[in-house]
Amino acid sequence: MSLFVQQIFNGLKVGSVYALVALGYTMVYGIIRLINFAHGDFIMVGAYTLCYTIPLMVNAGMPAWMAVVLGIVVCVIVGVVVELLAYRPVRKKGTNMTALITAISMSLFLQNTAQSLFGSAPKPITTIFDLEPINIAGVSIAGETLVTILIGFAVMITLTVVVNKTKIGRSMRAVSQDRQAAILTGVNVNRTITLTFAIGAALAALAALMYCANYPAASPTMGGMLGLKAFVAAVLGGIGIIPGAMLGGILVGLVESLSKAYSAVLTGGIITSAFSDAVVFMILIFVLLIRPAGILGKNEREKV
Amino acid sequence: MKKLLALLLAVMMILSFASCGDKKDEEKTQVDLGVIAPLTGSVAQYGTGVYNGVSLAVEEINAAGGILGKQIVIQKFDSKGSETEGVNAINALITNEVDAVIGAVISSVTAAIAPLADEAGMVVVTPTSTADTVTEGYDYVFRTCFADSFQGKLAARYADKLGKTKAAVLYISSDPYSAGLYEAFKAECAALNIELVSVQSTASKDDTDFTTQLTTIQATGVEFLYAPCYYSAIGSYIIPQARNAGYNGIVMGADGYDGVIPYMADPKSMYENVYFTNHYSKDDVNPVVQNFVKSYTDKFGADTLNSFAALGYDAVYMVKQAMEEANTTQDKEAIKAAMADINFSGVTGSFTLDETGTPQKTAALLGFKDGAEIFVESVGLE
Repeated sequence: MSLFVQQIFNGLKVGSVYALVALGYTMVYGIIRLINFAHGDFIMVGAYTLCYTIPLMVNAGMPAWMAVVLGIVVCVIVGVVVELLAYRPVRKKGTNMTALITAISMSLFLQNTAQSLFGSAPKPITTIFDLEPINIAGVSIAGETLVTILIGFAVMITLTVVVNKTKIGRSMRAVSQDRQAAILTGVNVNRTITLTFAIGAALAALAALMYCANYPAASPTMGGMLGLKAFVAAVLGGIGIIPGAMLGGILVGLVESLSKAYSAVLTGGIITSAFSDAVVFMILIFVLLIRPAGILGKNEREKV
Repeated sequence: MKKLLALLLAVMMILSFASCGDKKDEEKTQVDLGVIAPLTGSVAQYGTGVYNGVSLAVEEINAAGGILGKQIVIQKFDSKGSETEGVNAINALITNEVDAVIGAVISSVTAAIAPLADEAGMVVVTPTSTADTVTEGYDYVFRTCFADSFQGKLAARYADKLGKTKAAVLYISSDPYSAGLYEAFKAECAALNIELVSVQSTASKDDTDFTTQLTTIQATGVEFLYAPCYYSAIGSYIIPQARNAGYNGIVMGADGYDGVIPYMADPKSMYENVYFTNHYSKDDVNPVVQNFVKSYTDKFGADTLNSFAALGYDAVYMVKQAMEEANTTQDKEAIKAAMADINFSGVTGSFTLDETGTPQKTAALLGFKDGAEIFVESVGLE
C-alpha cells in the first residue's frame, strides 16, 4: 500500500511541473486562441538562463532561486520579440493555421539557435533548493514537489484574479471574445496580446525554475516533449480554462506514473513502462471522446 | 581556331590518362590516411576526441620517421554524425586512393560505410563503433574498441562475482546501444542463474523522470541495478532519483557513463556504488597510458581526454603495425591480412582480433569516489 502511495507522490512530482507549464499554454490560448507551440522552448530559454545566472547569484551571496528574476527578464524579452517579429505580422495577414505553423517554426528556430549557441550536450544546473524530503509513514515526498504545487496554486489564483478582476484582465477577455468589437470599444488589441505573451513567457521562466529544481539539466530539445505533455494537460483540463490546466497537469503526471508502475504487472509484461507516453495520449483521446471540451470545459453550442 | 581548341583538349585528355597510368605503377612517397569523424553536429564531442587522438598519433609517428620511411598525410572528412555524409566521405576516399581509413565514429555511420569499403577493398579501422554487427561479414573492416555484447556480459559476470543472485534493469528501449547491452546482460544472467526481478524501460533517451521505475525497482529489495544509459541522464537524473527513492545498492553501466562527472549533483557520495566498464583508465599506471595522457593533455588539455581520444590514437598505431608487418603501405590485400593477424599493445590494452575483426581484450572497471573517477580493476571474460 505504501508503495502505491509513493507512486502517487511520484506522479505528483512530475504532474506539478506539467501543471505549471500548462498554465502558460492555457493562458495564451485563452486570450489569443493561438496554441503557442514555442512555449516549451521558452522554458528551455529560461533553463539556459538559470544555468548561467545561478552561479552569479550564489557568488553574490544570494539564494540560487533568485536567478529566476533574471530568467523572467530574459524569457519576457524573447517572448515579446517572438510576438513582435513573427506572430504579429502573421496575425495581420494570415489565418489561425498560419499562426499555428509560425508557432511550430519558432519552436524549431529556438531549438536550433540554442544548439548552435550552447552545443547539443545537456548543461548541468547546480542545486536550486536544498530541501529535505518529507517522510510520512514510510513514503517520502520531495520538498521541491511541494514547492512546485504551491507555486502552481499561487499562479493559478493570481491569473484568475488578474483575468477576472483587473482592467487589463477585462481587455484580455474582450480580445478573446471578439477582437473586432474590442477594437471598436477602444481596447488596444496589439498591446493586450503583447502583454499576454509577456505574462506567458514569465510563467515559462517560473516553470523552468521548478523544472530545473526537479531535473537539473538544460538541453536544446528539453522543451519538446515537456511542451507536448503540458499541451495534453491543458487540453485535458479544458484549454483556455485556468484551473483546468492545474487539474490536467496533475492528472497527466498521475496517469504517467501509475502506468509506468502497474501496466507491466496488469498486462503480464506486454505493455512495459516504456509505453507510458502512449498510455497518456490514449487517455487524452478517450477523455476527449466523452468530453470534447476537456474536463472543466463547457460544451458550447454554436448559435445559428 | 575551333580545330586548334579541339586538338588541345585531345592532347590534354591523353596526357591526363598517361598521368593516371604513371600514378598506379609508381610507389607513392607518402601514406594517405583517411579519417571520417563527426567534427560538427550533435555527436561532435565524440568526433573531436577521436580526431585529436588520431592527429596526436600521426604527429608522433611522423616525428619518428613515419611508416616504412614514409610520412603520413591525413585526409579529413566531417561525417556530421550522418550516414549520408559518411557514405559521401568513404566514396571520396576510395576515389582518392588513400591507403587506409580510420572511421567512422558512431555505429550507425560505420554500418553505412562498411559494405562500401569492403567491396572496394579499402582497409577501415573504426576506433569506437561498438555495435556488434558493424564488422560482421566485412573482411576489410576492423575495430579498436570492444563490442557492446562484451560489456553486457562483463556486467553480469561482475554481479555474479559479487555474489548477487538477483538483479534489476533500467534501459532505453528505443536506443540500439542501450537495448543491445540489456540483451547481452540478460543472456549472461540466464547462463549464470541470476534472476532479473524487475526490468524497467523508458521510450526515449531524452527522458528525465525515472522516479516511478526506480521506486518499483527499490521495492523489490534488489541490490544490483544494470542501467545502460548515457552520462547526462545518469549524472543528472538516474542516480539522484534512485538514491532519493531509497535505492542504495550498486548501479552498473557501460562506456556511455564516460563523461558523467560534470553532471553529478550534490552530494557526490550518491555516486559511490556506481560502476561502469570502459575502454581504458587514465589512472592506469602502465607507462604507455601515462605517456599518452601526458602528451594529449599538453597538446589539447584535459577536457577532451576520454576513451574516444585513446581509441583514435590506438587505431593509427594499429594501421602502422599492420603496414610494417605487411612491409607495404599500399598493397591493401597484404595490409588486411596483417591486420587480421595483429597482436597489438596500446593505450586501450593488449589484444588480438577475432574473426569479425573485434579485439579480444579486457575492459577497465571504474567507479567513483568524492566525485572523481577511480580505477577498480581490469575485467575480462576469462
